[in-house]
Amino acid sequence: MMSYSINLEIIESAYVYAPQEIEELNTKILVPKMLTRRRLTRAAKIAIYLADKVLFKKGRIVYGSSFGELLSTSQILHSIGEQETISPTHFQNSVYNTAVSYLSMLHDNQEEIMTISSGDNTSLSVLKVGAVKALEGDTILLLVTETLNIDNIEKVNKCAAHLECGVALKVRLTNEKATLDLNALKSEDKMPNSINKMFTIAKNCDRDKTNIIEVLL
Amino acid sequence: MKTKNRVYITATTSSSCAGDNSQVLFENILSSSTGIAQDADYFFNANPAIGKLTSCETFHDELILQCKKNLENSQLKNYKETLLIIGSSVGGMSTTEDIYMHTKDYENIDPHKHHIQAISNSLMVEFDFYDTLSFSTACTSSANAIGYAYEVLSKGLYKNVLVVGADSLSRTTVGGFLTLGVLSSEPCRPFDKKRDGMNVSEAIACLLIETDIQEGCIEVCGVGYSSDAYHMTHPQPEGKGAIDAMKSALEEANLRPQDIDYINAHGTGTQANDSAEGTAIETLFSDKPYVSSTKSITGHTLGAAGALEAIISCMVIQEQTIPCCTFLEEAENKKINLTSKNYIQDLKYVMSNSFAFGGNNCSLIFGKVNDVL
Repeated sequence: MMSYSINLEIIESAYVYAPQEIEELNTKILVPKMLTRRRLTRAAKIAIYLADKVLFKKGRIVYGSSFGELLSTSQILHSIGEQETISPTHFQNSVYNTAVSYLSMLHDNQEEIMTISSGDNTSLSVLKVGAVKALEGDTILLLVTETLNIDNIEKVNKCAAHLECGVALKVRLTNEKATLDLNALKSEDKMPNSINKMFTIAKNCDRDKTNIIEVLL
Repeated sequence: MKTKNRVYITATTSSSCAGDNSQVLFENILSSSTGIAQDADYFFNANPAIGKLTSCETFHDELILQCKKNLENSQLKNYKETLLIIGSSVGGMSTTEDIYMHTKDYENIDPHKHHIQAISNSLMVEFDFYDTLSFSTACTSSANAIGYAYEVLSKGLYKNVLVVGADSLSRTTVGGFLTLGVLSSEPCRPFDKKRDGMNVSEAIACLLIETDIQEGCIEVCGVGYSSDAYHMTHPQPEGKGAIDAMKSALEEANLRPQDIDYINAHGTGTQANDSAEGTAIETLFSDKPYVSSTKSITGHTLGAAGALEAIISCMVIQEQTIPCCTFLEEAENKKINLTSKNYIQDLKYVMSNSFAFGGNNCSLIFGKVNDVL
């Protein structure tokens, strides 16, 4: 079967990561309202930080996370295990599209916002979906986060050394040739597999040049 | 969105609390036979009305079975050239819960059986697909999956797509909606003045979507997306996001509001959803298409709802029969044309709405195929 490829120009890129918890996400400045700020999940704070770094407020977003809101999920599991009532905040924050929903509310962004969760291939799927969406000609934010920093995570996490991480790529369609070869780029072995593809791209973007990737569907 | 190819749903299979195949599902909808019943298995000290699969198979085995049946119903020999798109809000959460309840420990939890991709992982063991990806936008997950299938096929990027909407019941969703105070202890009464909440349910719904026209197929005419940017769990009260999604779907389908014959509403039976959705429909559709929600029969199947209700919409067109809004006694919004009975009539276009936590909205439009084969 013939496969299609779509080239994307990376207009801006940003990434952030830490072995445990990312210390400075500038949340107090970026989210001045305390009531809103208090409800944000770690992934939402990372998403807001990265969107600010790539200067993106309104427009279509393709977001991805393999494990979603793991802290809310673990708190719900604990409640279920102890036969306690589930916290409404934990439940509303447990859906996979939580982080980008808070981001949309912050900037009153009423555009299409998709959330992908494709396991280890999550960031590759975000690139593919983003490339298809970019065929319309608009600028799109591709965003991935993982927030695995919960108690006892070592019992299930045998791979990722960085428990909090995120990547943002602001992209648009281009007919120019690719300048970054996805297959030739060396991936980072400490990152969760789910974000590795986009992290490797962001890390290899040259700020002084035009960065273009070819996304193979 | 510049489209090229026309896109058709050529094979559908489903399993829900209203039957383990789509024909029985539609018969139950037309006869108002609900699959919803009270159940105390999913959360301590609570007895909400929920919807369990009628099939005796495990959820995993039923998932495989429905995809096998879909392949048998299709003209494909295999899924080797098929893009698999999953729409799910909880993925393998119930598996994780079972392990945790037993051990109170994460030790035996397999991450690959926990996340959303767990559904796809199960299917990839049984079938050989060209590629796979999963959407998880809470209750719009599989509607968005159908929307994406429509986009890639209309642009000629893939040969065909199998969309699978799948969500199993879990303590998380039953307990979560309980704590939000939106679960009813009876089958829900969407759009009724005395509605008192929704019913969480489970379902598997599979749609094979292609660009080749086939006997009995239904056309996917358009998709519209929007975000409320308003609240995590409450829709914008005037239904602004819902209006944007419906408008966008009409524009994509090159249709006017008066072209829509019937709207299969999101209609969960909660105060907030039905009020906002009713206002949105009232605002956009001056010509009053028929409106009903089928969730009083199927319950709210969360991430599977978009796919299950897409199948129901296809059957409405195939059978030329609009279902009644079951258990509706007195409509809260009298300005929309809620159905009090089933209507047999010529109809061409059906809209299906899906709305989710985070203000994620998706409207799909399906159409009767008039082309002579």
